[in-house]
Amino acid sequence: MDLRFIPDDMNWICQPCGVPLEARKVEITYLNASFKVELPVCPKCGRIMVEEELATGRMFEVEQLLEDK
Amino acid sequence: MRNQNDLHDVEARCTEEQPPACSAGCPLGIDVRAFVLAMKEKSFSKAWKLLERGMPLPGVTVRLCEAPCENFCLRGELGDAIAISALEKVCLREAEHSTPIRPLPARGKKVRCIGGGASSLACAWDLAKKGYSVEIVASEGGAGAALKARLPEGALEKELEKLEGMNVRFRTTTSLTAEERVTDEIDALYIGHDDFTSGLPADLACDEFTRQCSTPQIFTGGASPQDSFITGLSDGRQAALSIDRFLQNASLTTGRFPLRHGQTTLSPETEGIEHLPRIAPAGDMYTAEEAAAEAARCIDCHCLRCVRACVYLQEYGDFPRKHARAIFNNFSIYQGVHGAYSLIDSCSLCRQCEEICPTNFSMADICLDARERLVEAGDIPPNAHYFALQEMHHAQEETSLLRHAPGHSASKVLFYPGCQLAAMRPQQVWILYNYLRGIEEETGIWLDCCGAPAHWAGRKAETKEINARFRERWLEMGSPKIVTACSSCLEHFREDGGLEVDSVWNLLVKFPPEGIHAANIPLALSDPCTARWDEETKESVRTLLQDCGQQLAPLAASGKTTECCGFGGLMENANPQLAQKVIEARVAQSEQPFLTWCAMCRDRLAKTGKPVYHILDLIFPSQARDPAEPPATISERRYNRHLLQKKFLVELYGEKETADKPWDSINIDMEEDIRLLLDSRHILEDDIRRTLAAREESDAFFVNSDGRERASAKLGDVTFWVEYRREGYIYHILRAWSHRMNLVKEGD
Repeated sequence: MDLRFIPDDMNWICQPCGVPLEARKVEITYLNASFKVELPVCPKCGRIMVEEELATGRMFEVEQLLEDK
Repeated sequence: MRNQNDLHDVEARCTEEQPPACSAGCPLGIDVRAFVLAMKEKSFSKAWKLLERGMPLPGVTVRLCEAPCENFCLRGELGDAIAISALEKVCLREAEHSTPIRPLPARGKKVRCIGGGASSLACAWDLAKKGYSVEIVASEGGAGAALKARLPEGALEKELEKLEGMNVRFRTTTSLTAEERVTDEIDALYIGHDDFTSGLPADLACDEFTRQCSTPQIFTGGASPQDSFITGLSDGRQAALSIDRFLQNASLTTGRFPLRHGQTTLSPETEGIEHLPRIAPAGDMYTAEEAAAEAARCIDCHCLRCVRACVYLQEYGDFPRKHARAIFNNFSIYQGVHGAYSLIDSCSLCRQCEEICPTNFSMADICLDARERLVEAGDIPPNAHYFALQEMHHAQEETSLLRHAPGHSASKVLFYPGCQLAAMRPQQVWILYNYLRGIEEETGIWLDCCGAPAHWAGRKAETKEINARFRERWLEMGSPKIVTACSSCLEHFREDGGLEVDSVWNLLVKFPPEGIHAANIPLALSDPCTARWDEETKESVRTLLQDCGQQLAPLAASGKTTECCGFGGLMENANPQLAQKVIEARVAQSEQPFLTWCAMCRDRLAKTGKPVYHILDLIFPSQARDPAEPPATISERRYNRHLLQKKFLVELYGEKETADKPWDSINIDMEEDIRLLLDSRHILEDDIRRTLAAREESDAFFVNSDGRERASAKLGDVTFWVEYRREGYIYHILRAWSHRMNLVKEGD
């Protein structure tokens, strides 16, 4: 899958950390497969945000591909 | 299908790849159907190739063949047989070209063909093509002399030249001596009886199938010069086949089909096909246009009954025989993409194909078997049935209820509405239960999910467990007769559960409620697929409707051939787009509103916008729902099941309501379009509340500079995301989405 999924709108702040999200490389896994992907992440607590377009688009496609393997 | 033998047994039941009658009637096995269809398209060159590929001496054969194929053509009973022979002659005129034939590399084996008749020439042709060194010994007039008079100038010579081009040697002799039949210097001998009138051995008996004589190197055929041309040709071909096998030390019969003489198991549907007479040519021969028109009368024999009836089969193309192989192969792949998962998981298991198919081929059996194997091996795609199984567990664990009638300590009857009727029509369940108590006061209530979804998902072990649990609870209740309003439950309890069960419609037909009231328009009655073979219940439903004066509009696929609404077999869960196509095709079958007696069918069909009645709307008009009402969303279904359980507990048994879940107090609000979006994404309002409850507990969320907030929670295998605006204690839901992939936080 493409490696970078950073939304145009990055005006998101993590609560309760109170810091803006940053583009960071993180790992996502499914059914024995793992990918390094750049996503909006809280630099303080490490929580990751997944956009609707990503979840219902590319992520869903990859889920289905992996399920067919 | 666990091995090749199972696969072959299954494949053999689908006859789509069997030859059409015309090909089966051709001793040369020409693909006549493809030839005629090419002629219809005026693709003469393509049509010629089909002839040339399968015919010895095509320029002669086309002109002299007596066309036994026409005797078997199914068009014969629907007007006149297609003029195949005349079409072949047109094809020859339009497209004959002498492509030199390139024989296979020489094999170093010699065959002598005695006789210059059709059988010897055909035998020589086929063997020379295969690389054998062939010599033809003809009678005085030369090879093909007996045929020459019936052919235009030069036609025979053209084909003989092709034989020469394949290094066939010709010799003539005035009298056939015994020496010609000595096999010392040759490897095999063919003796054609359709040329020499003397000198042939009188007692040359041969095996009818292989044409081999008692001396293994000698083969024979071509009964006499008076025999039909095509019979001689066919004998020569069969002998050539045997000689080839004989010279390779192979079995003469293994894997070899005898001539079909028009017999085939392919049985196309001919009902409703218009009778059309043969096109008569204006001149001696068809023009190209006339030929195309004549070919267009071909009914293009195929079976495909099941494919024409089933949207699922249309979606995956081909026909069941191919699917059986694809599914079998799916299990032989260890790495890479298993192409058949979607095929396996999308079948509604409705068994319409089984009913329609002349040999009862069942996609349901092979798909269910495949699902069970995949579950056993832990390979089933996790998403395929996830939501349906969650719903089943919820109905079983959160909204079930099993009681004797209030004030009674035993039950003669147990009313089992089924989880979907409870979810979609709780008020009707309530009124029906109270009516049934009027018939038999010891009628208990059982709200639950029968476990059919686990069965459909191929979860054998879980299904067995559920069935055992049901049986135990039923025995504890004193094993009363279960009366259900759901045909899936009925089927499941009967076949898998071993419980005593009947349909509520069979009871109601004996005790019809007084107010039962017909709709004032004819309705198209759509039977549920799980009642396909339940004649008694289908009859009861029709009697109920007839007695109240309900008129029925014709619906082609009904009764035994009825169609699934796309929920069965968990199709809607595994393949929602296909399930949508299924219902759209279904409602297009009648312009009238639909009527059904299955709650799931009612809501699924209504999803198309078509007005759909449930039979209870007619039986209890006071509780009738608007047929145009849209289907209940998944959240409403859960809510209704809760509501019904509460109503029974509080109003009938005087008990307190069951405790609310901690997240029930979360106050959410959303627009209609968002409600429908969540429904289509299988996101429950409960999932939203649980995600927001988790957000309240952890106080962790994301906030945008414009005030929007996003919270997420992993519930089971799925991570849910909710975007909302908060106003006091109310969450205004803006969007929600989910994914199954796992996010790995740094340091995890």
